[in-house]
Amino acid sequence: MTIQSDVVITINKLKKQFGDYQALNGLSFTVNKGEILALLGPNGAGKTTTINCLLGFLKPDSGDINIAGIDPQQDVITARQKIAYIPEQVALYPRLTGIDNLIYFSKMAKIEKTEHEFKALLQFVGLPEHAFYKQVSSYSKGMRQKVGIAIALAKNAQALILDEPTSGLDPSASHEFSHLLKKLASQGVAILMATHDLFRAQEDAHRVAIINQGQLVDTLGFEKIKQVQLESVYLEHIRGAVTC
Amino acid sequence: MLTLALKKEWVDAKRQGQLTWLLGIAALLLLVACLSSWQSHSRYVADQQAVSQSERARWLNQGDKGPHSAAHYGTYVMKPTSSLALLDAGLQDYQGNVIRLEAHVRNNALFRPIQDTLSVARFGQLSPAFVLQVLLPLFVILVGYGLVATEREQGTLKQLLAMGISPARLFFTKTFMLFTITSVLLIPVALCILVFNTLELRTGLFFGVYLIYVFIWCLLTTAISSLANTARKALIILLSLWAFTSLLLPKLAISYATAVHPVISGQAFQSRIESDVYTQEREQAIAKFKQQTLAHYKVSTTAELPFNWGGAQLQFGEQYADKKFDLLFSERNSQLKSQSNSYQQLGILSPFIALQTLSMGLAATDFTHHLHFSAAAEKQRRLIQETLNFNQRDNANKTTGHYKAGIELWQRIPKFNYQHPTFSSLYQQYIPSFLNLFVWLVGLTLLCAFTLKKLKLEEQR
Repeated sequence: MTIQSDVVITINKLKKQFGDYQALNGLSFTVNKGEILALLGPNGAGKTTTINCLLGFLKPDSGDINIAGIDPQQDVITARQKIAYIPEQVALYPRLTGIDNLIYFSKMAKIEKTEHEFKALLQFVGLPEHAFYKQVSSYSKGMRQKVGIAIALAKNAQALILDEPTSGLDPSASHEFSHLLKKLASQGVAILMATHDLFRAQEDAHRVAIINQGQLVDTLGFEKIKQVQLESVYLEHIRGAVTC
Repeated sequence: MLTLALKKEWVDAKRQGQLTWLLGIAALLLLVACLSSWQSHSRYVADQQAVSQSERARWLNQGDKGPHSAAHYGTYVMKPTSSLALLDAGLQDYQGNVIRLEAHVRNNALFRPIQDTLSVARFGQLSPAFVLQVLLPLFVILVGYGLVATEREQGTLKQLLAMGISPARLFFTKTFMLFTITSVLLIPVALCILVFNTLELRTGLFFGVYLIYVFIWCLLTTAISSLANTARKALIILLSLWAFTSLLLPKLAISYATAVHPVISGQAFQSRIESDVYTQEREQAIAKFKQQTLAHYKVSTTAELPFNWGGAQLQFGEQYADKKFDLLFSERNSQLKSQSNSYQQLGILSPFIALQTLSMGLAATDFTHHLHFSAAAEKQRRLIQETLNFNQRDNANKTTGHYKAGIELWQRIPKFNYQHPTFSSLYQQYIPSFLNLFVWLVGLTLLCAFTLKKLKLEEQR
């Protein structure tokens, strides 16, 4: 497995406090072009806060963020244009069809494509053609995820940020999703995947970053991921709360 | 972008059914209001034309008689309506629209159209102005309260912002989309202006202030929808604002204005006219005038004067009373104007008050225009009295006073042909309301800036 070394996402000594609660406490990591980085951590570890800081929805108290050369604190719109975000529950307009959702989100973001190209994107992510013109309210979670990825793809984003993407997916849909992620990574997209799904992380990630209490507690490279029992390493770090 | 957003909202709302129902109900209400207003407006126009023609004919065909008898015979003038009154009848139905012009008396306007309706009907009046000023903001709220808040609740707001869409672009697209949908209800206004009016300052401004009013409510609705955590909360806040500014505050403003600037009742005013004008002082002034006239012509009796004394005395009496009328009416009118100004000033707290004032003013159905008509009618009355009195003075028998005038004299009185004043001649009366709308726009611009800042850091709200 060859990973290109160009860094797309950099997070450096990020701190964020909510009242007395220290959500992020000097968190640092990078995601490279064509790399899938799985961000593991228990509930409240700081995964979603990190993503919100990356997307510019939260302002960190200190530390630096860089997305393809852009600091979201300085120019949040440009930074957001370089990344695509897929939340745990892909939010779509339930009364619009899949293709209408794709067109609406894309055109609102000034992405101009023909209907044929939009259809091609839905085909690429594996949405069955009969579902293109059905209202999203009738979609399964897996189908919604696919539309979410198609929206992300329409942007030609340099980085893809996923928050618990496989949560609630059946094994088959989860497998399909994993296949899609790998396909995207092979096209050079940097992928940051915050997840609890240790199996998917071990299967798909090129690197795994384990965080707890807002700090990075371990980073596992591709070779090591394949060698260890990820669950044991993860539990050891979380229970022990060992700091790197 | 706007077309895309419109298309999306239309498809979304159509499938939900909410927007089509709301549009249908609002259009139906407006249609009923317009038809009802059209009916009463047509009746008013027909009445006014009939009264004007029949009164002129009655005046001209009154037969031969003494000029002073003709002065008491009198005539009626009816206030013409404007075509914009079709949309906003303002105070037209509550003020008298007919003034009797006769000798010695400056009459108040009579015959309020509201008196012709059943008392219960007064509670259910649905006018285009009511629909546009009170219900249209409600329609804006019901269509737009969830524009951003629902997106927040279903997660699509974060998704949209994460796509790199600027909060300002999103906010203003939503605002203009709401404005486009709700402005549909202003089509009857545009049609009325195009069909019945020439495009002039009055009509242009009339349409303009309604557009601004709708835009104010669209901005407010989108801003509150953007700031509220849930659509339900946005709806409650917006309905509270609507009830306060469109229902409660106007009532409070009226109570405040009448408390701060009390005005004596119409009956008390009428009795004051009688007690202040027809006094001993008046008799003394007439006696003094008589002495001065006799001295001027160096004669000892009125029979020796080179003209009929009765006519001269009548005219002097009229002029004496006119000065008193001017004083009394100007005092009362300035009190009423103070009330109206106090009410208008509170438009800073309610765009409804600002719009209502401007709408009535532009439709020529407010108190200012009523005063203008009243002054024009009084001018006509004075012209009639002067013409008749001087005619008597110059033609009547110097000792017996016998004289009968005919149609030639009646024809010398020009037909009362009242024209509404141009708006540019009265615009200063409405500057506070224009300023109030401007202040609302400035205030909402600041609210929008705050909203955009909040939208940018969506998760830090």
